[in-house]
Amino acid sequence: MQPTKTARAGKSAVGVKVPHTMTERLLILLSRYREASIAVVAIVLVIYFQFGSDGGFLSPQFMSVVLRDTGRLGLVAAAEVMLMITGEIDLSLSAIFSIAPYVMALLSVTYGLPLAVGALIGVLIGILVGAINGIITVRFKVPSLITTVGMLFFLQGIVVSIYNSQPIVAPVEQPFNAIFGQSLYQPSDALLSWHGITAFTPFLWAVLVVLVLALVLNRTTFGLHTIATGSNIIGAREIGVRTDRMKIYNFMIAGGCAAFAGIINTAQFTSADPQAGSPFLTLQAIAAAVIGGTSLLGGSGTVIGALIGAFVVASLNNGLVMIGAQATVSDIYLGAAIIAAMILSIQVDRLRTRRRV
Amino acid sequence: MNTQTIPPLAPDAPVVLEMSNISKNFGAVTALVDVSIKLRQGEVLALVGDNGAGKSTLIKILSGFHQPDTGTIVSQGKEVRFASPRDARAQGIETVYQDLALIGDLSVFHNMFLGREYHKRFLGLNLLDNRKMREQAQLYLDTLGITIPSVNSTVDLLSGGQRQCIAVARSIYSSPKILVLDEPLAALGVRESAHVLGLIQNLRKQRQVSVILIVHNYNQIFEVCDRINFLHSGEVALDASTADTSEEELIRIVKSGLGTRAIEAAAAEVRPGLV
Repeated sequence: MQPTKTARAGKSAVGVKVPHTMTERLLILLSRYREASIAVVAIVLVIYFQFGSDGGFLSPQFMSVVLRDTGRLGLVAAAEVMLMITGEIDLSLSAIFSIAPYVMALLSVTYGLPLAVGALIGVLIGILVGAINGIITVRFKVPSLITTVGMLFFLQGIVVSIYNSQPIVAPVEQPFNAIFGQSLYQPSDALLSWHGITAFTPFLWAVLVVLVLALVLNRTTFGLHTIATGSNIIGAREIGVRTDRMKIYNFMIAGGCAAFAGIINTAQFTSADPQAGSPFLTLQAIAAAVIGGTSLLGGSGTVIGALIGAFVVASLNNGLVMIGAQATVSDIYLGAAIIAAMILSIQVDRLRTRRRV
Repeated sequence: MNTQTIPPLAPDAPVVLEMSNISKNFGAVTALVDVSIKLRQGEVLALVGDNGAGKSTLIKILSGFHQPDTGTIVSQGKEVRFASPRDARAQGIETVYQDLALIGDLSVFHNMFLGREYHKRFLGLNLLDNRKMREQAQLYLDTLGITIPSVNSTVDLLSGGQRQCIAVARSIYSSPKILVLDEPLAALGVRESAHVLGLIQNLRKQRQVSVILIVHNYNQIFEVCDRINFLHSGEVALDASTADTSEEELIRIVKSGLGTRAIEAAAAEVRPGLV
C-alpha cells in the first residue's frame, strides 16, 4: 500500500526513548546481559574466597567439591528455569532426585541390572513423573505449586517405604562411575590424569545439559513456544501455540533433569539415600535460578544464568566454611541474595515498561 | 485517510463464507441465537453491536477458539468444523484478536512468524532461521508502510498503534482468504487509526481477501465497509449494504427496530456522551 506522509511521520515520532541517567543505562545493560551481570558477581566471589582462603579456593581439590555441588544444583536449577519460563514451578524435583537413583540401585542390587540400564529407567521415571505433574496442572487446572507439593510428599513417601528408609549401597561399575560421577579429586591426582578429569564429570554433564537447554530455549521453535506460553498464554493459544503441551513437555524435561542429577549424585557417593534430595535442594535450585536472572513471572529466563547462579550458591556454601565461617552463615547471604536479585529483576522489568511509549 | 473511491463489490462475487444458524451458550448465558452471516469474495463486512451482543463470540467460533453448540460453517463451498485455531488457519481464516495475541517478551520478527517459523532440522531439533525471518519481516513491513524502530525490538516496547499494525501485518502475511479483525481501532489515536484503516482499504481495493471487521464506532468504518451487520442480544438485527444506507439512516433503523434500552445503547455508541 501507499503510506501517506503523515502516517509515516506519526510512526517515526513514536520510538524508543534514549536512556539518560547512569542508573537507567546500568539497568538496561543488566536487562540485556543478565548472564554477564551474574558472572561478574561470581568472579567477585571467587576472588574474595581465593584471598580469604590463602589460595585454597581455586585448588583442583576444592574446586572439584564446589563444581560437584554446582553441577547437581545447576541441573535442577536449569530444569526449573525452563518451567519458570512457562509460568509454572516444580517443587517435586527433589523427590525425583531421590527416587530415580534409588530405583536404579535397587534394580542393580536385587536383579543385577547394569547401572546404565537402571539409570535409563530412573530418567524415564523422572520424565513420567514430570508428565503426570504437567497433566494434572494443565488438564485439571491445579496450580503447579500445589500439584508438585502433593507429588513431593507422595514420591518421598514411596521412596522411604520401599526399603524402610535404608540407603542402598550402589555397586561401582566402570566405566559408568567414571562417566557419571567419580569420587572426589585426591591430592595425589594430576589434573590431566583420567581420575583427575573424571572427578569433574558431574559438572561437565551439567554444562552439557545446560548448553543443550540453552540451544533449545534460544534457537528452536520449541524454545520460542516455551517463551510465548509464559509471556502471554492467551495470545499464544490464539495464535496456535499448543500451550498445554508446551507446559507438559517442560515438566517432563524438568523431571528428566532432576532424575539425571540424582543419578549422578548417587554414582558419586556409590550410595542411594532415600533422603538424598531434601526439599531444600529444590529451594536452592530456585534460588540459583532467580539469582541467575530468571523471574518467577514467566516469559523470560536464562539456563546459563541458572548454572552460574548455582555456582554462586555452591561457592557461598563451601567458600564461607573454608574461610572459617559457620556453615549456617551462608544461608544468610543466600537469603539476602535471592531477595536482592528479585528486586533488581523487577526494577529492570519496570524500567523496560516505563520506556515504552 | 485514504480518500480514493472504491468501486462497489461485483454483484456476482462468490460467497466465501456462510455461517448458518449459529447458537452458543456459556452455561446459563446465551451468547448467540441462530446467527447467520454471509461473506463474499473481497467484501469488507462490519459487525457492530453493543458490548455483549455476541460479536466476539461469533468471531471466536469462526477462528476455532470456541465451538458452536449448533449451526454450520461453510467455507469455500464445503462444510468445515474447527476444533482449534489451527484448523481455522489451515482454512485460510486469520484472526487479529482485540488483545492482539502478541507476545511481549518476543521480538517483532519472532511474533510475525510465531507458529509458522522458518526452521532447519538439526539433530532432531527445529533450529530457527532467525536471519531469514528477520529479513522477511523487515521486507514485509516495508511493503505495508509500517515503520517501527527495529524488527529486533521486543513487542512490549512498541506503541499501541505499532502493535496493532504488527498484528494486522502478521495475519495478512499468510495471504488468508478471510481476515477477521476484532476492534482494530480500539485504543488508537487518530493517525494510528488512519493507518490501520488504510491497510484495510488497500485490501478492499484488491478484492482478494474478505474482511470481517468488529467495530464500535460507525463513523470510522463507513467508508471502508461494503456491508454492515448489526448484532443485538445474540441475534443479527440488521443486515445493510453501506451503498444503500448512510450513517444517519443506519442509526434510525437501529432505533426503530429495537426496544428503548437498545436504542439508548446504540445512541450512546454512536454519539458518546449523549446518554
